[in-house]
Amino acid sequence: MSTPVVDTPRRGLTAWRPGPVALAGTVAVALVIAGEIVSPGFAGYGQLVNLMRVAAFLGVIAIGQTIVIIAGGGGVDLSVGKVATFSAIIGSRVMAGDDANIVPAVALALLVAAAIGLVNGLGVTLLRIPPFVMTLGMIGVVQGLILAYTGGQAEGRAAPALTSLVNGRVILDLPGLLFLWLLLGLLAVWLLRRTTFGWSLFAVGANRTAAELTGVRVNRTLILAYVLSATFAGLAGILLLGYTESVFLDLADQYMLPSVAAVVIGGTLLAGGIGGYAGTAVGAIVLTVLQGLLTTLDIGGAWRTVVNGVVLLVLLSLYGRQRRLRS
Amino acid sequence: MSTPLLEMSGVRKRYGGVQALDGAELTAVRGEVHALLGPNGSGKSTLDKTLAGTVVPDAGTIRIDGAEARIGGPRDAHALGVAAVYQQLSIVGDLTVTQNVVLGLEPARRFGFLDQRAARDRAGAALERFTAAFAGRLPLDRPASALGPGERQIVEVAKALARRPRILVLDEATASLHKEQVDVLFDVVRELRADGVLVLFTSHRLDEVFALCDRATVLRNGRTAGTVELAATDEDELVRLMVGDAPHQAPRAARAGAAGAGSAAEGPVSSPAATLEVRGLTTDRLRDVSFTVRSGEVLGLGGLQGQGQSELLLALFGGAHVGAGEAVLDGRPLPLSSPVKAARAGVALVPGDRGRQGMFAVRPIQENLSLASMHRRATARLALRGAAERGAATAMVERLRIKIGSLADPVSTLSGGNQQKVVIGKWLLDRPRVVLLDDPTKGVDVAAKEEIYAIVRGLADDGAVVILNSSDNRELTELSDRVLVVFEGTVVEELDAEAISERRLISSALRLGPGETL
Repeated sequence: MSTPVVDTPRRGLTAWRPGPVALAGTVAVALVIAGEIVSPGFAGYGQLVNLMRVAAFLGVIAIGQTIVIIAGGGGVDLSVGKVATFSAIIGSRVMAGDDANIVPAVALALLVAAAIGLVNGLGVTLLRIPPFVMTLGMIGVVQGLILAYTGGQAEGRAAPALTSLVNGRVILDLPGLLFLWLLLGLLAVWLLRRTTFGWSLFAVGANRTAAELTGVRVNRTLILAYVLSATFAGLAGILLLGYTESVFLDLADQYMLPSVAAVVIGGTLLAGGIGGYAGTAVGAIVLTVLQGLLTTLDIGGAWRTVVNGVVLLVLLSLYGRQRRLRS
Repeated sequence: MSTPLLEMSGVRKRYGGVQALDGAELTAVRGEVHALLGPNGSGKSTLDKTLAGTVVPDAGTIRIDGAEARIGGPRDAHALGVAAVYQQLSIVGDLTVTQNVVLGLEPARRFGFLDQRAARDRAGAALERFTAAFAGRLPLDRPASALGPGERQIVEVAKALARRPRILVLDEATASLHKEQVDVLFDVVRELRADGVLVLFTSHRLDEVFALCDRATVLRNGRTAGTVELAATDEDELVRLMVGDAPHQAPRAARAGAAGAGSAAEGPVSSPAATLEVRGLTTDRLRDVSFTVRSGEVLGLGGLQGQGQSELLLALFGGAHVGAGEAVLDGRPLPLSSPVKAARAGVALVPGDRGRQGMFAVRPIQENLSLASMHRRATARLALRGAAERGAATAMVERLRIKIGSLADPVSTLSGGNQQKVVIGKWLLDRPRVVLLDDPTKGVDVAAKEEIYAIVRGLADDGAVVILNSSDNRELTELSDRVLVVFEGTVVEELDAEAISERRLISSALRLGPGETL
C-alpha cells in the first residue's frame, strides 16, 4: 500500500491567470510606456532611476505596513508616516551633521520608533483597541512628542556619510538608496517566507482561532508585527533624512495612505492571511510612476489628486474582480 | 382525528458524503405533543429543520392538513403556520425583548412607521404566560443581552408563539432552562395542546419526554424506526427502536487481545507508563470531571452531542477558562491556562470545527502541516530551512496517505477527509504525548474514516494518551478501550471494554439504568 500519493497538479487544466504581482507589474510598465508617449523622455534612464528613488521611501515604509496588514483582524498602521517623520527629526538632531554621531543617532531613532510600535501592539492586543483607532490615535501622540521634542523648530542636519550612502552613485549610476531598498526588501521577503515569525503571522491572519489552537503565540506575533512596522517606518525616516539632508516637521506624513495603497495594489488581502512583500514593492513603484506621469501631464494640483484617486479605484476594483474569479 | 395535521414522507437529505435523512416519515395530529427521538446523527434536527424551512430536502413530501406544502425557506414555513425554536438562539442581543419577539412581524402604521405601542402589546401577550419564568416581571424594554441564558431561551419561544403557529417545533429548547422555567414552558405547551396546536418536541432528557409527550417517533440512521404511544411504552422499547438489530460488536480491547497480546497491550515503547490524571475539572459547562487515562489507551467520550465533551477537550488544551480542578501528566501538573503552554507540554487538540478551529484554509498545505512543530526544526527558533520543512511535510503526507497535488496548494483545495488528515498530521509532527480528538471523522467519507481510525489506533499503540470524543457510537465501539458517558457537563458513567456496545452507549447516553436495557 505504498502507492505514490502525489497526484499530478491540477494547474494545467485551468487557464493561467496573472497573479496580483504580475498584474501590478504590467500596470507599472504600461504607465511608463504611456508616459513616454505623452512626454518623450519620461522613460529615459535617468528619469526612471529618479522615479525608483522616490519609490524607495514608500517601499521601505510599506514593508511594515505589509506585515501589519497580513496579520489580519483589521490590522493597519496609520502611524507609519508620523513615526518616520519623528525618526528623521531625532536622527537629524542627534547627528547634527557629524559622521561620528551616526550610530547613536540611528540607534536612538529606531529605538524610539520601536517603542511606539510596541505601544501600538500592546494597545491592539492587550487592550483590544481596533488597530485603526489605536494607530490613528498614535498619530496625535507622536505629533505631540515631535512638538515637545523640537519646540516647533527642527534642528540639526544629516551626517555627510549618511547622505552619500543614500544619494551616492554606486554602480551603473544607481544611488545607494536603491541597493538599501533591495536589501531591506529581501530581508522582508525572508522574514515573511522563511521564518517561524512569518508563518505564524500568516496563520494569525488567516484564522486567529485556529492559530491559537495550534499553539501559535498570537499576541506575541501581533505585537512584533507592530514593532517591526514602526521600526521599518523609522528606517525610512532615516533614509529620507539622508536624501533631504535637513528635516521639517511633516517630512514623511504624506506616506500614510500611499503605504496602505501600495500594499493593497501588491495583492495583499486587507482581511489578512494572504500577500507578500514583492507585490507591495511593485505597488510602491506603480503609485510613484502614476504620480510622475500626472506631474508630467501638467494637470493642476487639484485635478491631479482626483485622477490619482480614480486610477487607484479602478486598479483596486480590478483586483476585487480577479479575486472573485479565482475563488 | 380525521386527516393528520402533519404528514412527512420519504424525506431525504444528503450533506456531502453523509446521508442525514434517508426516507424519514412522520405523522402527527393536531392537539398533540409529539416527541422526536433518536441517537446522535439519526436525523432529528435535520427533519425539524426541513419542516421549518432552514433545510431544503433532496426529496420527500410534506402535507399539512392534507394539502401538499412546498417549503422552500423559513418564510414559507411561517406562512404555513410552522414556527421553530432551536437550541442555537436567533435572539439579537442589541435589540430589546419586545423588538426580538416581534422581529419580522413588526406592526406598522401608515407609510411603514413602526407602531411601538402595538409591538409592546403583542410582545407582552406572547410573553405573558411566561411571567413566572422571569421572576414575575416581564423585561419587555431590556436589551436581550442583559438576560440570562434560560430567559433568552424563553424569549425565543415567545417569539415563535407570537407567530401563532399551528405547528411548533421545540428542538432542545429546554437544554438551558432551570427546573422552574421548564415547568412554566411545559404548562404553556399543554395549553397549546388544548388549543389544537401540534408541538414537535426534541430533548436529550428522556424524563421530560415521558412527562410531556403523547407519542414519539424514533429515527435511526435517517429512517423512521417506528412511532409509539408513550403511555404504552417503556424505555427499553425506545432503546430497542433506536439501536435496531445491530449486530453485537466486540469492543476493541477484546479484539486486540485475540489478535496478539504482545505488542500493543503490554505498554508503549517510547514513554512507559505515562498517565494523564484529571481531577475535579470544572468550567462554565463542566462540573467536577475526574478520570485517569494510561498511555496506549483510547478513552472515548460518549453521550449525546453537546453535553460538554468538546468543552472537556478544549479545557485540557488550555482553551477554556478553568474554574477549578487540575490535570496531571506523569506526575507533573499540566498547564491549563493557554493552548501555547499545553502544546509545549505535549498536548495536541484536533478540534471539532475543522474550518473555524483547525486549519488555515487559504494557506498552503506545507504551512498547515509545519505550524505546530516548526520551532523544533528552526535555527534559533526563527530561521526555517525550506528543505527541512518540505521533508517533514512530505513524510507526513506519505505516512497518513494524504492525497495532495502540491504542498504549495491551499489546504482548502483538499477533500474533507484529507483536510482532517492535515490537521492531525500537523500535531503528529510535534510528537504529542496526549492527543485529544474532537469528532475527528465528522463530514469525512467512509474510506478516509477507516484510515483515520487506523491513525488513531496507531497513536495509542505508539504510547500516546488518546482521548476521543465522537458523535458516532459505532466509532466509539470500534476505537475505545473505555468510554466515559458525559451528560450535562459531568461524567455519569464509565463503560469498560466488555461493556461497550452501541446499545449500551445509547441507553447510557439517555441515562437509563443498566438493568433496564437488557
